[in-house]
Amino acid sequence: MSRRFWRVVVLVLILAVVLYPLLWMLGTSFKSREEIATNIGLWPEVFTPANFREGWQNFDVSFGRFFANSAMVALLTVVGNAISCLLAAYAFARLRFRLRKVWFAVMIGTLLLPGHVLIIPQYVLFKQLGWVGGDWPYLPLLVPQFLATEAFFVFLMVQFMRGIPYELDEAAKIDGASPYTVFAHVIVPLSRPALVTTAIFSFIWTWNDFFRQLVFLSDLQDYTVPVALTLFIDSTSESAVGPMFAMSLLSLVPVFLFFVAFQRLLVEGINTSGIKG
Amino acid sequence: MAISTAPPAAPPAGSASPGPASRRGRGGPRRRENIAGYVFLSPWLLGLMGITAVPMLLSLYLSFTNYDALSDFSAVEWIGLDNYREMFTADASFWHAVRVTVTFALVAVPLKLAAALGVALLLNRAFRGVGLFRGLFYLPSLLGGSVALAIVWVNMFNRDGAFNSLLGLFGIEGAPWVNDPRFALETLMALAIWQFGAPMVIFLAGLKQIPVELYEAASVDGAGPWRQFRAVTLPMLSPVIFFNLVLETINGFQGFTSAFVLSNGTGGPVDSTLMYTLNLYIKGFTELRMGYASALAWVFLVAIALITVVLFSTGRFWVHYADGEDR
Amino acid sequence: MHRAPSPRAVEPTTRHHRTAFSGPGLRRRLLAALVTIPLALAAAACGDDGGDSASDPNKPVELSIFWWGAEGRAKLTEDALALYTKKHPNVTFKKTWQANQGYFDKLATLTAGGDAPDIFQIDDNYLTEYASRNVTLDLTSYKDGGKLDLSKFPSSLVNYGIVDGKLAGVAFGENTQGLVYNKTLLDKNKLPAPTTGMTWADFITWAENVSKTAKVPGTQDPSADYKAFWVWLRQQGKDLYKDKALGFTEQDVAAWFELWKGARDRGATPTADVIHEGNVTDISKQLVVTGKAGTSWVWANQMPELKKNTKDELGVVAYPGDPSAQWARASMYFSVFRGSDKKDIAVDVINFLSNDPEAAAVLGTDRGLPSNLDIRKAVASTVSDANMKVAIEVQTELGAKFGASPQVPLKGHSKVRAELIKAAEEVQFGRQSPAEAAKAYFAIAQAAIGQA
Repeated sequence: MSRRFWRVVVLVLILAVVLYPLLWMLGTSFKSREEIATNIGLWPEVFTPANFREGWQNFDVSFGRFFANSAMVALLTVVGNAISCLLAAYAFARLRFRLRKVWFAVMIGTLLLPGHVLIIPQYVLFKQLGWVGGDWPYLPLLVPQFLATEAFFVFLMVQFMRGIPYELDEAAKIDGASPYTVFAHVIVPLSRPALVTTAIFSFIWTWNDFFRQLVFLSDLQDYTVPVALTLFIDSTSESAVGPMFAMSLLSLVPVFLFFVAFQRLLVEGINTSGIKG
Repeated sequence: MAISTAPPAAPPAGSASPGPASRRGRGGPRRRENIAGYVFLSPWLLGLMGITAVPMLLSLYLSFTNYDALSDFSAVEWIGLDNYREMFTADASFWHAVRVTVTFALVAVPLKLAAALGVALLLNRAFRGVGLFRGLFYLPSLLGGSVALAIVWVNMFNRDGAFNSLLGLFGIEGAPWVNDPRFALETLMALAIWQFGAPMVIFLAGLKQIPVELYEAASVDGAGPWRQFRAVTLPMLSPVIFFNLVLETINGFQGFTSAFVLSNGTGGPVDSTLMYTLNLYIKGFTELRMGYASALAWVFLVAIALITVVLFSTGRFWVHYADGEDR
Repeated sequence: MHRAPSPRAVEPTTRHHRTAFSGPGLRRRLLAALVTIPLALAAAACGDDGGDSASDPNKPVELSIFWWGAEGRAKLTEDALALYTKKHPNVTFKKTWQANQGYFDKLATLTAGGDAPDIFQIDDNYLTEYASRNVTLDLTSYKDGGKLDLSKFPSSLVNYGIVDGKLAGVAFGENTQGLVYNKTLLDKNKLPAPTTGMTWADFITWAENVSKTAKVPGTQDPSADYKAFWVWLRQQGKDLYKDKALGFTEQDVAAWFELWKGARDRGATPTADVIHEGNVTDISKQLVVTGKAGTSWVWANQMPELKKNTKDELGVVAYPGDPSAQWARASMYFSVFRGSDKKDIAVDVINFLSNDPEAAAVLGTDRGLPSNLDIRKAVASTVSDANMKVAIEVQTELGAKFGASPQVPLKGHSKVRAELIKAAEEVQFGRQSPAEAAKAYFAIAQAAIGQA
C-alpha cells in the first residue's frame, strides 16, 4: 500500500475521534426537547428540524441579523488587524530603531495580563472617549483592532517575517530602496502566509468572542452571534438547548467556509511568490 | 542563513524620548531606518498609549486598593500591599489555583503542540480533499468556548458518556470523569488538546514557508524522510515552533473559557478545575473584590513574564532565524 | 473630554511607579495621573436619594432598563413596557436583556462606569452588595409619599427588599422552596408521594424506599443547596444570617452534613458524581427531569419549566420539616439607579408594572407569583398552564403557613453559597468528614461576610 493511502487512513481515524463530539451535537440538534433531556445517544429516535426553525425565529430579531452583525465585526477586525499588525511587525522584525527591544518586551507584556481586570478600566476609558452609548456601538470593539492592540498578531507576524531571508532586503537596499519600498515590494508579497493566518484567527476569534461583545452591546438589534447564543439558556428560568445547539452549528458554517477558502491561500501562498532560499 | 548587520545597542532607557530624533548619523541610513521604524510602529504605539496602557496601569493601581467593581475609582481606599500579602499568606485558593494551573499547562501544552505538529505534517502534502481535511480538523476549535461546548463535553465524559462506552468495548470500566474531582482536570486537558486547530494552522503556514529547494538539496544528498525532518523541517520551522510554544504556554496558563463553561463558573467539582484566571474572575466579579483580582493579575503577569523570558533565552539555542539574529 | 489621553498623561506615572509606595504625596500624584480620565465620571456616578429637578412632565424621556431572562420574559416585559408608553407617550425605553450568564458582570461594569441603567433587575444574591454601596435608590420616601404603592404586597415581601433600613428593591415575583417529585415514577412503582410537613427523617426513609423499589435514587442530596440548608436551619430556630453575622454554628453545619451522609449511606441519594451534576446544572437538567433521582430541590415556580423537559408527570410539595420555616421570597427585584437623572419616572414605571392590572396581567407569573395580592388572585384565575396552576396552588397553600421572612442575605452571600457547595462536595466525595468540612466552611463563611 502506498504511503499516501496510509496517510489518509491515519487521518481518517484521528478525524473520527476528533469529530465524534460534533456529530453528537449534530444528532442532538435534531432531537425534540424531551428527548434531549433523556436520550443521550448519538442519534435521535425521532428526527425533527424544529430546533432550527425555532432557533432562527426565537427572538424579535431574526438570527440572520446576528450573523450579519458578527460578520461585519469580524471582517472589519480582520482588515484592522492585518494592516496595523503588519506595519508594527515589519518595524520589529526588520528595522533597527531606538528602544526596539524595549518596545518589543512591552508588546509581549501586554499579552500577559488576564483580561478580566481590564474590562472595567477599559469600559471607563472608552466611555470617556465617547465610544460607549453612541449611535454605533461597535467602536469599542473595532477601533483597538486598527491600532494593533492584539499583540498576538504582531508577535505572530514578527516570527513569520524573521523567516524571510534577509538577502532580499539587502539586495533591495543596495539598489537604493528605502525601508518603505522594501516593505511594499519585498515584505508584503512574502507575508501572505502570515497575513492569511492572521485573517483566519482574527475572524474566528472575533466570531467566538463573548465577554467584550456582551459588555459593549446593549441592544438586541446589535447583538452578535456569541451573545445571541447565550440568550437561549437562562439557567434559572428557561433553557432551549435544542435551538441553541442548532444555532451553534449554523454559526460554525460561515467560519468553516471562511477557513476552507482562506487556507487555500496558505497553500498557494508560497508557490506563487517564487521565494528563493 | 543570511548574515545581517548586528543590531545597534539600544541606548539606555530614558536617555531619549521615544521620538525619531537621533544625535548621531544625521541623515544617514541608520537615522532613516530609525525614523522609518517609528513610522511603522506608530499605529501600535498609539494603541499602546491610548488604549492598552491606561487600563493596564489602572489595574496596577487598583491592585493596591480594596476596589469592589461597583464604585467609581475615586472612592477606592489605598491598602498598600495587603492584597499581595493576603494572596501569599492567607488565601489557600491562590496556591491551589497555582497548582491546578501549572499541572494543566505542563501536561496540556506539550500534548497539544505535539498533536498540532503531527497533524500539520500529515496535512502538509497536497492530496485530494486536503483543504476539507484541514477544515475538519479545525472544526473543534471553531466552537471556541461556547455554552454548547460545555454540554457536549459533559456528555462525552459523563458516567454514561461516550468515552466510557468506548472504554467498555475494551472491557475497561470508566469513571464519571467530568463529575469526579480526581479526573475533572484531565477532561479539561483533553478539551484543550482536542482544540489543537490554531497551532496546527500556524504550523501549516510555517511549513509552507520552507523553500522546497532545501528538501530537494537534502534529497540529493541522500537524506531520508527522517533526516529531512531533522535537518530541514525542524530548524526551518523553529521560529514558528517557538512562537507556538510561547503562545500556547501563555494560553495554557491563562486558560479560562473552557474551565469556566465546563464548571459553570465554579471551578468545581471541589475546586479541581479552579484555574488561576478563573479564580481571579470569581474574586473580581462574583465576590466583587476587583482590587484583589487585580493583584492576582499582576502577580500572574510577573510569573508569566519570567517564564517567557526563560523560553526566550532557551530560544537562543534552538531557534534559527533567517535574519541571523538571536533574540 | 473626548480626546485620546496624551502620552504625557501616562509618562509621569511610569517614572514614579517604582517609588509609589514611599509616601502619600507620590501616591496621590500617581492616582491623579491615572484617574484623570475616570475621575470626571465621579459626578455622574454619585447620585442622591432626592427626586429629579422639576422639569416639564411631557418632555420626551428615554429610560434604560436591564433584566436577565429568556425570550419569554423579554416578550412579556416589552409588552408591559409598551403599555406604559401608551399611557405616557413621552416615555420610551431602551431595553437590554440577556440570559443570566454574564448579567452581573455587565451590570457591575456599567455601574463602575457610572452608567448603570435607570431600572435594573436584581436578586437577593446581590441586592445587599449594591444597596450597601449606595448604587440603588432608597425608595422609602416614594413608598411613604404614595408614589410607590406597595399596600397590596404581603408585608414580608416588602420587608425582604429592605437593606439597612432602606427600601432597595421592589419584589417582582414571589416564590418559595419546592420539592419536585416524579409522580409517574412513584405511581408506576405504587409508591406514595412525599407530603408537606413530613419530617426530614421520614423523608429520607421514604427516599431510601424509593431507591430500593424503583431502582432510581429517591432524592437529590441537597446538602450543597443553600436554600435547603436555610429552611432546615430555620426549623431549628436558627437562620442563615442574623444581623451582621452568621445565624448558625459550626455544629449546625456538621449536623446538616451528617444528616445527608447518613442518607447517602442508606442509598437514599445518587452517588457523589451524579449529585455534583445536579448541583451545577441548569434548570432543564435537574435530576428529577433526567431520571437520575426521584426528587429535586428547586423553587416552586420553576415547576412548569421543569415539566417542559420531561414526559413524566411531576408534583411539588414543601421541603421536609415544618413548612412555616419557608417564607415568601422575592424571586427578583427591580431597583432604581441612585445616579439616574430620571428617578421619579423610573419609580413610576416600577409602580405601574407592579400595580396596573393590565400590565401585571401581561407579566403574569413569569418572574414568580405577582407581588400585588389582588393581581395575584386575578392572574391565578386565568392561568392555563396546568403545571403553573399546581405551582400556584401549592404556593398559595403554603402562603397561609409562611413565617416571617428572614433578612436579606448579607454582602458576601454569593461566596457563602459557593463555599457550601464546595464543602458539601468534599463530604460527598468522601474527602473530608462532616466535622472537618463544617469547620472549614464555617471559617470561610465568616470571612466572606466580614465577620470578625
